[in-house]
Amino acid sequence: MDVKKTIIFNLRWHRRIGLSVFFMVIFLSVTGFVLNHSPGLKLSKVDLSSNWLLSWYGLEQEPAEGFNVDENWVYLAADQQLYFNQNIVAGCSAPLHSVAATEQMILALCSDSIVMLSHSGQLIESFSQLQGLPANIDRVAVDGNNIFLTGSQGTNQFDPDSLNITAIDQVRAESISAQPLPDKRFSEIADTGTASISLETVILDLHSGRFFGNAGVLFVDIIGLLMCILSITGLWAWVNHQRLRKQ
Amino acid sequence: MFKPMLKALLLTGTVLLTSLSSPMVMGKGVFQSGPDFVAEVFEQQGNAKVLWLTNDIRQQTKVILGRPVTGLRIRYHQHGNKTAWILDEIGKEMPITIGVVVEANKIAQVKILAYRESRGGEVRYSAYTRQYLGAALNDRYKLDQSIDGITGATLSVWAVNKVAALALYYHSLTEQTQADQ
Repeated sequence: MDVKKTIIFNLRWHRRIGLSVFFMVIFLSVTGFVLNHSPGLKLSKVDLSSNWLLSWYGLEQEPAEGFNVDENWVYLAADQQLYFNQNIVAGCSAPLHSVAATEQMILALCSDSIVMLSHSGQLIESFSQLQGLPANIDRVAVDGNNIFLTGSQGTNQFDPDSLNITAIDQVRAESISAQPLPDKRFSEIADTGTASISLETVILDLHSGRFFGNAGVLFVDIIGLLMCILSITGLWAWVNHQRLRKQ
Repeated sequence: MFKPMLKALLLTGTVLLTSLSSPMVMGKGVFQSGPDFVAEVFEQQGNAKVLWLTNDIRQQTKVILGRPVTGLRIRYHQHGNKTAWILDEIGKEMPITIGVVVEANKIAQVKILAYRESRGGEVRYSAYTRQYLGAALNDRYKLDQSIDGITGATLSVWAVNKVAALALYYHSLTEQTQADQ
């Protein structure tokens, strides 16, 4: 009689747990199977970039910005290329710190080089840290035809013809302020290859529950625990059933 | 037929042994700055000069590099009939910065100043770059010496070959300018 009661009790809970984890077991099995074959399915190469997904992951993008020089736009695309309107003009490591223009040229200060352009957007020359540009410069500004490079180690005057750099006292000089790119064609170029999340990451996060934060992880933990209980109650039911049959 | 193959094999072996014997040296990185290279080449500081790239020059550089050259001017240093050039050329995906010294229309030194690719950095070893010494341009604007390649660094080798030929061409232009003056 005790055995029968135990079996009924055990089977009742086995059924309840089984029904409650049914959908999650199917879901975890499918996602686990897919992740197990991720290299073959090339999931890591499928990029998802829908706004709500990026927003969910906290990767909301700032609107692409550029520098307006006489109605021409100088900006950096995600592929580390400097653009003049729609044309690539030079390689430029992010970030594009600042842009200034003299009568002769436009100067774009990248993280490790300064790019000199003609006003028609032709590359004149790039001057990089490897060639002697001081490190930690984060602003280029002009006063007339005088060019000044400012950074954490002070201000320098820059001669674009000789590439000489001379330390000077602080001066008043102007650079061009960054603004959101007004033309959709430019902002599309600037956004090329920007934030995206691979399908593999999303499936992995769904599988582990991380997609829904700590609550999701806890939920998947509980499902795992219930699945352990389910297997124990299943085993227990089978053992009791065998004992009942022997009696 | 077997001799060039044997030479290439020996060169690859030498470069591999060199790289194995110096495990602390990374394949990519900046090995020397431009100013340091120039200071090393010229006992006294060479004069910094600018070569403006006219349309004719750009057309010829396109033949040498196989692509249009960027920039309106190229900077170089000169002392006497020796010039030093610091030029970038893409190996596979990233630019390799190469210093080339030309003297009397022949290459006096090739040095890899910065290598940014993840593979193929063996081109920076002197066992490889020594091959360029004495090379000049032939009528087809290619190096007149055969350069043995390195297994696994083919694109980097091609990039160095192109830059060496380009530096020789640029040097010849500076000599022409001096002769015109």
